[in-house]
Amino acid sequence: MKQEKRWHRWHGGMIEGKGQRIDELLELLWIMKEDRKDDLKEFLKSSEDKDVKRLLEEMEDGGLVSVEGESIKFKSKGGKKAEMIIRRHRLAERLFADLFEFEIKQAHADACAFEHILSPEVTDSVCTFLGHPPICPDGRPIPRGECCKKFQIEIKPLVQSLTSLQPGKDGRIVFITPRYHARLDKLGSLGIVPGSIVRVHQRKPSYVLKIGETEIALDEEIAKEIYVREV
Amino acid sequence: MVAKNMECHSHKKKTLTENSQQIALIGNPNVGKSVIFGILTGKYVTVSNYPGTTVEVAYGKIRHGDDSFHIIDTPGVNTLIPMSEDEKVTRDILLKERLSSVVQVADAKNLRRALLITLQLIEMRLPFLLVLNMDDEARSRGIIIESKRLSEILSLPVIRTVATQRIGMSALLEEIAKPCLSGFAFKYDDNLENAIKEMEDYLPEANISKRSLSVMILAGDESLREWLNPYIDHAVLKKIDSLYQRIQERYHEPAGYVINKQRLKIVDGILEGVLASSQKKAEGIKESFGRWSMHPVWGIPIILAVLFLVYEFVGVFGAQTLVNFLEKAIFGRYLNPWAVKIVDILVPVPLLKELFVGDYGIITMALTYAIAIVLPIVGTFFIAFGILEDSGYLPRLAVMVNRVFKMMGLNGKAVLPMILGLGCDTMATLTARILETKKERIIATLLLALGVPCSAQLGVVLGMLAGLSLKAVILWAGVIIGVIFIVGYLAAKIIPGDESDFVLELPPIRIPQFSNILIKTLARVEWYLKEAVPLFILGTLILFISHKLGLLAVIEKVTAPLVVDFLGLPAKAAESFIIGFLRRDYGAAGLFAMAKAGELNNTQILVSLVTITLFIPCIANLMIIIKERGLKTAVAIVGFIFPFAFLVGGILNFILRALAIEL
Repeated sequence: MKQEKRWHRWHGGMIEGKGQRIDELLELLWIMKEDRKDDLKEFLKSSEDKDVKRLLEEMEDGGLVSVEGESIKFKSKGGKKAEMIIRRHRLAERLFADLFEFEIKQAHADACAFEHILSPEVTDSVCTFLGHPPICPDGRPIPRGECCKKFQIEIKPLVQSLTSLQPGKDGRIVFITPRYHARLDKLGSLGIVPGSIVRVHQRKPSYVLKIGETEIALDEEIAKEIYVREV
Repeated sequence: MVAKNMECHSHKKKTLTENSQQIALIGNPNVGKSVIFGILTGKYVTVSNYPGTTVEVAYGKIRHGDDSFHIIDTPGVNTLIPMSEDEKVTRDILLKERLSSVVQVADAKNLRRALLITLQLIEMRLPFLLVLNMDDEARSRGIIIESKRLSEILSLPVIRTVATQRIGMSALLEEIAKPCLSGFAFKYDDNLENAIKEMEDYLPEANISKRSLSVMILAGDESLREWLNPYIDHAVLKKIDSLYQRIQERYHEPAGYVINKQRLKIVDGILEGVLASSQKKAEGIKESFGRWSMHPVWGIPIILAVLFLVYEFVGVFGAQTLVNFLEKAIFGRYLNPWAVKIVDILVPVPLLKELFVGDYGIITMALTYAIAIVLPIVGTFFIAFGILEDSGYLPRLAVMVNRVFKMMGLNGKAVLPMILGLGCDTMATLTARILETKKERIIATLLLALGVPCSAQLGVVLGMLAGLSLKAVILWAGVIIGVIFIVGYLAAKIIPGDESDFVLELPPIRIPQFSNILIKTLARVEWYLKEAVPLFILGTLILFISHKLGLLAVIEKVTAPLVVDFLGLPAKAAESFIIGFLRRDYGAAGLFAMAKAGELNNTQILVSLVTITLFIPCIANLMIIIKERGLKTAVAIVGFIFPFAFLVGGILNFILRALAIEL
């Protein structure tokens, strides 16, 4: 919570469009709701937006939120909108933090820009790509999307590390993220390149893969860097 | 990807008739190149280091009808953009030797990887032919290659073989003199093609095509620079560099990797047309064994079973049955008495007589040790090692021990030199070259020199321990293994440098071929005898002279505080340590003689054995350490081991006595 708030202030200056400023307020209210708070005063205090009062009126007119006495609440339209913003934000955080290994602070900053621009299709693709993660790097829940409901029927993330591929199942290599370039060449000369189909024979005491009719043993650390799509 | 010029046999065929024709055998590792080489050449083989390198290359001669050709067996490669010294040697042979043709040997069940090399050979415009070896293994896995179709696509002769059963070898002999240039043409993406065109203008003429050289440079092959230097001037070299930089900037992945991926795509296109798969046969016993041998639980009893079988064969059959037979029956009853008689007649001078057949005599001591004690042990070990090597079990053992070895700064690959060290540490130190980083090679060399007893020494040690209790055997093994592990663990922390990735190809489990094992064992035994026998004789001479001059008594006196007080051994044991300088096993044999004569009690036997096992490596090993790792490293290794061996021995002596442990 603290981290997210701090980031809000720090980032407030960049937000220009009115739509985006309303998005920010919806996001703030969502986080308050997660902490079981609905105090109007706290809401006004927490926001760094100078025009928070005017924007709040607009949000009420637009049927996004309702103010009753000292408390502020989502209307269903606003709640849905906030849910989607939060979903985009936290998925983007995960993408930056998990895949590109950015610092969480940096991931926050970039996720903020993404939350306003991701289309629903891209959001679902990112969600699927990451294997429908339930929580963001800070441990807050990521609201479920349509794709996640499908996911509950067939639990198959689109792309997963070789270390989470079930032994005996085939996977097509999608990409490899080696720590050293030399590793890429070595793996490549053994036929471990994107497009190849691999099967994990065993995980312990070392990973044993099968590519075509070639069996290759390697460290878990390297297997982690190979991402596959189950076929 | 169109196959032009399918009728290669008509006009582009070359016929090799001159005596000086040279053929290179190339292919991935573990495809049976050496077996084919052995069958083709028979006995006309020499093995030597490729000039300027430490990589061994075999040269041989083929006779076929009236023709004869020279043939080179190159180290296995996965790519011709070298990533190791082995691969560089193979590439250099293609680049620098005047080859009349190339025979590519492919593992039929791994055609995809083989074709990656085929494409590179085609690119080089070298006349060659393709051998699909291990056809039987491919078929049993349900892989059927339409070799005719493949031959049409590549416009190359394609020959199917099962080399271990000599199937297809006569067809290969027929075709070997008639290689042809492939007419298969393939392209990379436009970026690369344009760069290749530009690059070609900068390059000198060579034995292989400019196009292939261009692709190599664009793939980031640094090792070519050295070859290019004399041919082109600095300005052109700069242009080449900037062209490479320009191309690299266009891709977010290394250019070599991009090229490899595009080649694989072409390969997959070829495979589509030639691979027909049939019903795969059920997993056989060999496959199951291969799987169990790497199982985290079942793998361990398999290791123990393998160790037990090796012990039965080397430790019992070799070190006891054969040694007894040779030492007692052959040498004791016949050879030595005869030698004494002959020397008596031929040599009238008593001193010289003693030199040959006395207590420290060349025949009675040096040759008896070398032939009667060491040879059977080493011979049986090399047979066992050859079987392990050819069966494909060793890489699976590497999988099992990888984690433990990682703690010592090594990885599973180091299992090969470590096990070979149980045969001969000198040979194993040479094999440490297969390790990828300098740090790993130093650690492996140190551990081999420190704690891995060679088979001769091991045979003598086990022979002595057999007389004691099981407890003594376990204590000895425990101390040695513990010391190796602790020293390895600390060395990994102290020695600077990188550790390498564990990425290891696992060849299938195979039933070893008797003839192949025999050839290998004979070559190794020959190497061993050449190395060991002169040292045995030298050691005996030194002992003889010391004995005659009364030096032994002096040395025993000088070393008494160390040997007698610290280790708690009789002063005479110093003698064994002195010859231990020459060969550790020879030193152990000296202790063996003392134990047999009842001059050592059980505690003394254990302490002396631990000390001599950890003692400095033999002279031959020391020479190889200096040659391979440099004088500085060698001095550091010996400077550590020498006091350390005595320290461990002394501590063990103290503990055994303080706790009054009965052995």
